[in-house]
Formats: sequence, C-alpha cells, structure tokens
Amino acid sequence: MPFCPNPDCDHRRRLGEPAAFSEGVTTCSDCGSTLSGTAPHFETVREPTVREPEKATGWTCPQCGLINRGDLALCSCGYDSNRPAVSDMQDTMTAPNPIETFLLRNKETQEQGRELVLEFNGSALEYFRIWIVNLCLTLFTLGIFSAWAKVRKKRYFYSHTTVDGTPFQYLGRPVPILKGRVIAAAAFLTYYASSHFFTSLLPYVFAVGAVLAPWVLVRSAAFNARYSAFRNMTFHFDGKYPGALKALYQWGIIPVFVLGMMFNWWGKYAIAAVAVLVFGVSFPWWIRRLRNFLISHSFYGNRKGIFSATGGQFFGVYFRSGLIMAGILVVVGLFTAMLIASVTEKSRLIAWLLAVPIYAGYVLAYAYVQAHSSNLVWNHTRLGPLRFQSTLRGWGMAKLYVTNALAIIASLGLLIPWAVMRTLKYRADHMRVLQEGELAEFQGSDMSSVEAIGAETVDFFDMDLSL
Amino acid sequence: MITLEGTYYDGRTPVAVPARMEFADGSAILITGQISLRHAAAALNVSPCIGKADRFIALPDNGQFQCPDHPFLQSLPQASPSEGPVAWLEERWGVALAGIAITACLLLAGYFYGLPVAAERVAAHIPVETEQTLGRHAITWLDEQRWFKPTKLELDRQKSIRDGFDRLRSDLPLKSCYQLEFRASKALGANAFALPGGTIVITDAMVKSANSQEEVLAVLAHEIGHVELRHTMRSLLQNSAVAVVAAAVTADAASLSVAVAGLPVLLAQTKYSREFEAAADEFAFKLLKQKGYSPLAFASLMERLAIKYESDEKMFVYVSTHPVTEKRMKRARAAAQE
Repeated sequence: MPFCPNPDCDHRRRLGEPAAFSEGVTTCSDCGSTLSGTAPHFETVREPTVREPEKATGWTCPQCGLINRGDLALCSCGYDSNRPAVSDMQDTMTAPNPIETFLLRNKETQEQGRELVLEFNGSALEYFRIWIVNLCLTLFTLGIFSAWAKVRKKRYFYSHTTVDGTPFQYLGRPVPILKGRVIAAAAFLTYYASSHFFTSLLPYVFAVGAVLAPWVLVRSAAFNARYSAFRNMTFHFDGKYPGALKALYQWGIIPVFVLGMMFNWWGKYAIAAVAVLVFGVSFPWWIRRLRNFLISHSFYGNRKGIFSATGGQFFGVYFRSGLIMAGILVVVGLFTAMLIASVTEKSRLIAWLLAVPIYAGYVLAYAYVQAHSSNLVWNHTRLGPLRFQSTLRGWGMAKLYVTNALAIIASLGLLIPWAVMRTLKYRADHMRVLQEGELAEFQGSDMSSVEAIGAETVDFFDMDLSL
Repeated sequence: MITLEGTYYDGRTPVAVPARMEFADGSAILITGQISLRHAAAALNVSPCIGKADRFIALPDNGQFQCPDHPFLQSLPQASPSEGPVAWLEERWGVALAGIAITACLLLAGYFYGLPVAAERVAAHIPVETEQTLGRHAITWLDEQRWFKPTKLELDRQKSIRDGFDRLRSDLPLKSCYQLEFRASKALGANAFALPGGTIVITDAMVKSANSQEEVLAVLAHEIGHVELRHTMRSLLQNSAVAVVAAAVTADAASLSVAVAGLPVLLAQTKYSREFEAAADEFAFKLLKQKGYSPLAFASLMERLAIKYESDEKMFVYVSTHPVTEKRMKRARAAAQE
C-alpha cells in the first residue's frame, strides 16, 4: 500500500499519521508528493488540528468503504470528502456508494409506518396523440407495428404511475413482443383452421394447447415482471412449469369442464346443469390458486409476494355478484309478466327493450366482480415491508364502464384514450400503498438493474405471450 | 455545460437520492451530495421519450439517473432507437389530426373495398373441398339436435326438383360439389340454405309454399349463387377480419369491448351478409334466364312468403342479414325485363 513520505503533508499534520492510499495511486492528494511503497518512519506526532464538525453523522468512504466520523472530512485512504475526487474510470471496487451516505444523512426517509403516495397523472390529450399515431401505424402496417404500439402505450401507463414520487419504468422491447404476437397469431390460426376445416385434428390441437398453457403462463408472467422496473430495480418471476401445471390443472375440474364444452360431452340438460354447477362452485378456488401462483413467485429485489386470500373469500365475491344478477332477473321477470298481462301484441321491440335492464344487470355484476376480486387480491398481498389497500366499489366501476362506453360510442371511438386515462386514474385513486418497515429492505442484485436488462443477450424464448 | 437535476438510484435499494448530472466534453458527471462519478457520455443509455414523462439514464455501473426530459438527452445513446421517430410523431397535434383522417380513411376503405376484394381473392385460392367437412358437421349437428326431421315430400316431387337442380348446375364450375338435401323443419319454416362445401338444404315448407317448379328452382338458384360465389369462405374471412380490426381498435378499452365493439361489428357483418344476399340474387336471375326460366318466379315466391311471414323487418334494416324483400322483388322484376 503506498504512503505519503512527506512529513509536512497536510494529512500528517492534521491526523498525526502518514496518508495511506489505495493501490495504483501514485501521488498524494494532499501535498502532491510521489508516494512510496512502505510506511515511512516518523517520530514527531503533531497534535491534529480538529476541524469544525460539519457533518452530524458519519459517512462512508467511497474508495475504501470505511465509515468515518462525521467530523472528519478525510478518510484514512486519502479520500477527501470536501474535495470529491473525479475518477476517470469507475470500477466496482472503488465506486462510491451515494445511497448509504444518503441514508446515513437522512434518517427521516426511513421512518416507518408511512403511506407511499400512489398517483396516476396521465393526460387524456397527450395520450390521445400517442394512441392515434400508434393505431394509424398499426393499421397501415397490417398489424406489424402493434408490437411497437403496445410498448409505447405501456411505457406511457408506467411512466405516469408514480409511487412515492417515482414513476415505474417499462423496459419491454418491440421485437420480443412482435415475436410473441407472431406465435400467438399462428396458434390462433391453427386453432381456427382445425375447428372449422380440419376437425379431425382438433383434439390434438387441444392436447398441445393444454400442454403448452402452463409454459405460456410462466413465460408471460416472467416477461412482464422482468421488464417492469421501479427505482432501477426490476421485478422478477421465478415460477416454473410444474408449479404452473399444478395451479392450472389441479383437481382437473376446470380442464374437464372446458374439454366437455368443446367436445359437446354435456349433451343432456341434467348432466350439463351438474357440470355447470361443479364448474361454478370450484371456479373461485381455481382463481385463488392461479393468483397465489402468480403472486407468491413474484419478487421485487429479494422480497417475494405473500398472498393470503382464501378460496372461500373469492367464492363470496362471485356468489354476491350472482345474487345481483339473479335479483335483477327476478325484477325484469316480474315486470315482463305484468307487461305481457297488459299488452296483448307481442312485438320484437319489447324483447329488445327487455334486453336493456338485463344488460345493465350484467354490467353491474361484472363490475362488482372486477372491483371486489381486485380488492381481495390487493388487500391480501404483502411485498416485503409493503401492504396494499384497494377500495374499489362495484357501483363506481359500473358507472365508469357505462359512461365510458357511452362516450366512446357517441364520439365514434375518439374518446377511447380519454376513457383509458380515466379508468387508470380511478384505479390509482382507490389504491393505497402502506410502508411498514424500511424500503432498503429490498435488496437488488447485479441482475436486477435496468442496465443489466439492456446489456443481456436476448434468448430465443424471450417473448411476450400475454395479450 | 449542461446540468440536469434529478434523482439517483443505485440499483441495490429502492431509495431515491437527489442528484445532479453535468455533461461536458463527452463525459457525464453524476453528483450526489459530496460524491461525484464520471462516466463517458457514450456509455450511457437513455430510455425513450414518452409524453412529458421523466427520462431514465442507465449508467455503466448499474446505477440510474432519472430527470425531466431535456432536448440534450437525444444526443446520448438511446435504449430503444426505433421508438425515436414514433415519439417525434406522437408529440405533434398536426400529426394526430392527420392520424385521425388517415385512420378513418383506412378503416372505411378497408371496410367498403379492401376487405371484400381481399376476401374474394383469398377465397378463390382455397379449394371448396376444405369447406366440406364444415358442411358435413353442420348438417349432422342439425339432424342430431332435431332441428331437421326427415322429409315428407313424395319421391316424384323430389325427383323432379332434383332433375331441375341438375339442369341448373350442369354448366357451373363447381358442379361436382353440389348436393341437394330435403328436410322437414318446424322451427325454420319455409327456408333454404347453402351449407359450406356445396350442400344445399331446402325445407318441405318452402317446397309447399312454391306454386310451381320454377319457383322452387328460383330459390335453389339463389342458394347455388352463394356456393358458386364462395360466400361461406368469404364471409368467414371478412367477419374474422372485422372482429380482429375491431379488437385492435378497442384493445385499450378491453373491459368494455363487448359494449363498444359489439355494435359496429354487428353492423359491419350484417352489411356484408346483405351484400352477399343481393349478389346471390343477381347470380340467380342470370342463371334462371340462361336456363330458360323467368326471374319473375323469384319475385312471386318472395311476395307470397312476405305475406305469410309478415314481419317488422323495416325497423331492423341495418341489423338484418337479408336485404328488404320489396327491394329484392323489384330487382327480380327488373331482371326479368332486361
């Protein structure tokens, strides 16, 4: 280790010992003398002139990592915090760590039990331009540009959603998305052709689809996680094929029901009714298993999601929405009975008018499920020190859907971007993020930084299969 | 020298540190508190511009600097260069207005012209035999589900209709594909259909509604028109394309897609269906005249059916799959005059 041989060096005067430097440094940063390889012999220990304490807390030397007292400006390695050295080449050994310095200085950011403000601040006018340009280019290129369009839109949504003042960052790139879309289109065409023209192939197509479905689930979850970042740390999904297989097909009720639908196994009404009932009752548990699989394999830094909702709670949500639908059907039924009793001629117009309240009931039941299953998922998810509070209401969502739909129809589609911004804002306004611990609990790695994503070679299966 | 104020993240903890970045002489100096880091500007990687959102600059040491958008950032290496021109377009209202006009033109041109022509061309390259499985499945299904019952027509009557049918199809390019089926059906009433692949079904009620052999042949000629003009394949292609385009346009409003896209898709698909019916009518008139029959038979049968099954079709003109009967009769009479 090189030392400063100059007995009159500033450093030695202040601290009473020769300045030591890291390997490779050739001149003393205090006096400019050429350094020597061995520690110089010295007798006179002069009283160090203690400088005024400038910093209340300690600081970490960016060169050697030593934590120094706050009243010392100079580290034993020769780093002077009053005169930050500008190094030409940075390597990981000597790179300063501004975060630790910052944390030591700003204790208040680590206060516990506070709320992180979640905001969506997208503007309908700004998003309109993005939407129309991308739609136009997508139509013009017969759909090829849709991969770019998806990236641009997701980028807009992410970068206008902020938590604690920092926006999310979407890192997806168009080409892997295009690749995923080409494969999805090929799969759809295969299905379409085999269901219409080559029906003898249909069972094989289904079998292949069923085998691939868990893989698609895992790949799309992994893609979405990997290409979403917050504060320079990407999310991460470590679910694997066997886990997805279990989540999707355990008990076999859902796949058997779907297959039965496809191949017309439920011919008799009684069998069909039993099948629908079994499917309806087990569906909430299936949804829970799927959510649990997705959340408990998702990471942010080294912290993994924890999901605690039960199938019974999901059942409750679907059951109540069923009650809403049933209630409306009963009311419409009674009304129809009265109408038929009073009006003699049966016109198709009446049938059309009756569709309106039934459709409204359907929208309300759908909005209820959307709002409350979303609440259930978020309110039972923990991520490290973070808890979530989602307070969506079925009625509010239904109003949002109906006004959006009317606005879109009345504007011939031009208000679609406005409706999208409004929906995202509504969702963000009904979501709270609560911090119960330190954010520094999330520890990133070399693999999780945004730069690492940009530098990595893209493997063939790196593609977005979600739609 | 350019100085940007922003936030630094080290990539190891999600902690935001106020920071500043100075650009001078091809290098970028990140200053946080009392620490500064120098990187070559060429080693940075800037996230694409999107709206007025902040940009993220990835640093070679896995750190990241976030700052408001600044024109200078365009001169640094870009993380996704292909998005640059798109961002340029997205920023301009003029482009957006042109985009509305172009999108509307593309959709309308595709709807009225491009899609029907493209579907016709594509259908011409798909052999009619591929449809036959579909047709066989359809008729087996209709039989199994009891929509159809065996015909009660006398064999002589069937024979004479078959002979007339064979005469009609004798010179047509697809003549070997045709198959005529008689069925009785309460639910479907007086009806005739062309199933995919050339199977034509006529119900007993339809045969009985006709006053003459000529009228039955007029109906069959119309169905032959559907087969000969490949309407099954074309409507399959056109309807799928309409559904795909509608899904693409309303993708953002996916949660409302049924409410929002449902009506336009229905309108588009029924419009194509009405066009096919009219085209099949025209084909039938030509075929009938060529074989020495009069299109007037078609008009008289339509008239009789319209009286028998009086309906409020005028109210549903735009969602109906068939053109208004009156119009069809008028066309038939005009065709007979020509």
